[in-house]
Amino acid sequence: MSSEALFTTHDIGKVYGTNTVLQDINIRVWPGEIVGLIGENGAGKSTLLKIIAGVEEPSMGTMQMNGQNFRAGSMLNANESGIGMVFQEQSLINNLTVAQNIFLGREKQFSKGNFIIWSKMNAAARNVLNAMGLEDISEKAKVRDLSFAMRQMVEIAKVFDIVSAASNNHALILLDEPTTVLSDEEMVVLFDKIRQMKQRGNAIILISHRLQEVLEITDRIYVFKDGKLTAEVETQHADEAILYEKMVGRETNSEYFVSDRQTVPAQEAVLEVKDLSMFGSFKNVSFNLYKGEVLGLCGVEGSGKEDVCAVLCGDQAKTHGAIKVHQRKVDFKSPSDARDVGIISVPKNRREDGIIDILSLAENISVANYQKNAVYRLISNKNQRENAKHWVRSLGIRCSSVNQRIINLSGGNAQKVIFARVLDSECPILVLDHPTRGVDVGAKGDIYALIRSITEKGGSVLLMGDTLDESLGLSSRILVMKDGMICGEFDCPADNKPEQVDIVRLML
Amino acid sequence: MQFISGIGDELHIENTLPHQLRRSILTKQEDIWMELFRKRNRSSQTIAEEFVQKVENEARSNLIRVYAPITLLVGMTIFFSIYDSHFFSLKNILNILQQMAVPLILATGLSFVLLIGRIDLSVEGVMGFVGSFMALLILNDRNANDFGFWGVLIPIAIGIFYGLITGILHVKLRIASFIITFATGTIIKGIAILLYDSRAARVQEQWMTDWSMMSFLGIPLITWIAVAFFLVCSIILNYTAFGRAVYAIGDNEAAARASGINVERVTVKAFVISSTAAALAGFVALIRLKFGQASLGDDQMFPCITALVIGGASLSGGRGGTLQTIVGILIYMELLNFLTIIGVDANYKKALQGIIIIVAVALTLSRGRKTIAK
Repeated sequence: MSSEALFTTHDIGKVYGTNTVLQDINIRVWPGEIVGLIGENGAGKSTLLKIIAGVEEPSMGTMQMNGQNFRAGSMLNANESGIGMVFQEQSLINNLTVAQNIFLGREKQFSKGNFIIWSKMNAAARNVLNAMGLEDISEKAKVRDLSFAMRQMVEIAKVFDIVSAASNNHALILLDEPTTVLSDEEMVVLFDKIRQMKQRGNAIILISHRLQEVLEITDRIYVFKDGKLTAEVETQHADEAILYEKMVGRETNSEYFVSDRQTVPAQEAVLEVKDLSMFGSFKNVSFNLYKGEVLGLCGVEGSGKEDVCAVLCGDQAKTHGAIKVHQRKVDFKSPSDARDVGIISVPKNRREDGIIDILSLAENISVANYQKNAVYRLISNKNQRENAKHWVRSLGIRCSSVNQRIINLSGGNAQKVIFARVLDSECPILVLDHPTRGVDVGAKGDIYALIRSITEKGGSVLLMGDTLDESLGLSSRILVMKDGMICGEFDCPADNKPEQVDIVRLML
Repeated sequence: MQFISGIGDELHIENTLPHQLRRSILTKQEDIWMELFRKRNRSSQTIAEEFVQKVENEARSNLIRVYAPITLLVGMTIFFSIYDSHFFSLKNILNILQQMAVPLILATGLSFVLLIGRIDLSVEGVMGFVGSFMALLILNDRNANDFGFWGVLIPIAIGIFYGLITGILHVKLRIASFIITFATGTIIKGIAILLYDSRAARVQEQWMTDWSMMSFLGIPLITWIAVAFFLVCSIILNYTAFGRAVYAIGDNEAAARASGINVERVTVKAFVISSTAAALAGFVALIRLKFGQASLGDDQMFPCITALVIGGASLSGGRGGTLQTIVGILIYMELLNFLTIIGVDANYKKALQGIIIIVAVALTLSRGRKTIAK
């Protein structure tokens, strides 16, 4: 390890509106080092990598590469400085060949006049692939015909080729969960390649949810929590238990989550899910949701929990299994069918799936249930406004009037409007998908109290918390999912919450 | 009931279930019910294996999508030939070749625009303008003009330039392509009608009459022009960085941009190719008809779009290409020709074209559940 750091960040931060997602990040990477970033979903790891790679601009702070001040601006600039990122969602072009993908945007070197000499490009691509030990991937194959693992390797080869050309083996490669789609053997190959890159003097930053992997390959580990860097550990001094402990950190605050109002669920099951499966995403998921219960669904991204919720709110089709609401077998194909049987959701992406931004606050509330405010099937604006005023009062929505456009409300208030819409529909089962995402602290507290009132009145909630903290604090019971299956269940009475570490252990 | 629960005991559900924590103790009836479901679900696969299989299934359906049009073309040709012996006669084949000249040119140009996920509705207007303006510049019955060679070149150049303007308006103003091209197409068609002052010119050039009769190896000259244009465009599409960029943008515009591709520039170029095709088609149509009406281009575009979609191009971009274009045009022209031979009414053919486009798009489009395609 040389004495000069390859890459450093100073007080890097990222703010979206009023929401701070990353704060005061100082990391340091040496040449020939593999660094791991770990932390819960939403802890800010991916955001940091995107800032380094030039996909996002930092809101504050500076970075240095090779001792020079560095501001990416764009991915191309980052590449020229020797920084390249392999994305979680793959960015290869499916309808081009492997060779064309590797040299996309860099075809000039193989051109004669205006025409590309394919044989030359293919030969160069062959060299790139061979150098990565990917002899079994044809440079002429279309990317769409490759397996996901192969695509991942091609993408790594591509990024590595781009940055190594620019950096003379002093490249910084960023890998965001490279192993989620790989089998064990493929992972061995990948790690082998990563170590080779390292030996040549390149540095690698790796995000992974699989702790064994991180322990196996990294030299140093940074732990993230709630947008902050909470710990730095030398891998040789770390084991899984230490990492779990550093990842969870903060103790659950029972007051914050209004735990004294946590209900004890009734014995009556309102929703029974049996052997629910969606091909390629999750399978044999069975659970009951009881009256007055908050049931938390935990798991890392890709564990299948998102799709379980998507199926339950009618967004996706199940491939198998049965759903019963109030002991009655139901089958629905759309969110509106789901609402008719009594299931309604607060979606995760408020801006895309939640608010209708050209409509007023009042219209946004009644849009799910126009008939309720209608007179002879014609919408009564007066009723609609009265209804909205009722919700503004009872949920404490801060607005200038109910005619205000929803787009002008703050994140927390807009989210309360979505809750008003959902409550207005009087469905007994609510699916809350990250109900406090992008919401400021004050509004969070209001929403927690609101969830308590819902269960007090006999409603049932299926919750995917924004953080594990939140899931644990709000839920009466928690289901843990991993690799598409339910792998654990915890009772969470208000006075005896389980340890976060135990849940994290099952998730990873 | 007792008999059934006996079976349940033998199945040893707990052992065969995947390592999955179950809290509730299931009744025996439920055991059997679950076991039946489990078998149908082939649950020996893990989620990761299922995922791999899902990707493989996708690759397979892609393969079908590529080969289905060719299979259809071969099958159709055989069926039509058996059904009616006139179909495969030399005379009829030459007839098809003659008829396909204009559609082949237009479809070749449109295929670039379709590949990047846009559409160009202005081709009919450009085609009509080039044809009618050209008729006014060369020897004709409306005025004393006789610009000869320049009379052909200038309208074509204007047509190409018009595509450049359309493309720039599209990328700079960020107006959806179907709106901006509809608007620019309408404008240029209006200009064409104003130019000949509502009475179109009849061409009196001798060479144009000669060209329309000329053939080489028995194939009409205009078909050769179309094939030459098709080949040049094929080379551009398959052997230049621009061609690859067209595919890249159609598949994933954001990734293409991140790779350093100038998306705006490539998009404008695609519109220029499309308008070049339209201008050339206007010229060829004028050779055939020798009458410079702005309506020369009417009802020319949608048949081409239909043909491209049948050939396997996608209206949302990324799919299509040289092979898809020629196969699509051949399928469409053969079908049209066959319907004429067996004496189907022209209006039925129109309705059929609509049905074909719905079926072809419905079969090839991959739809998301969440939103209806707009």
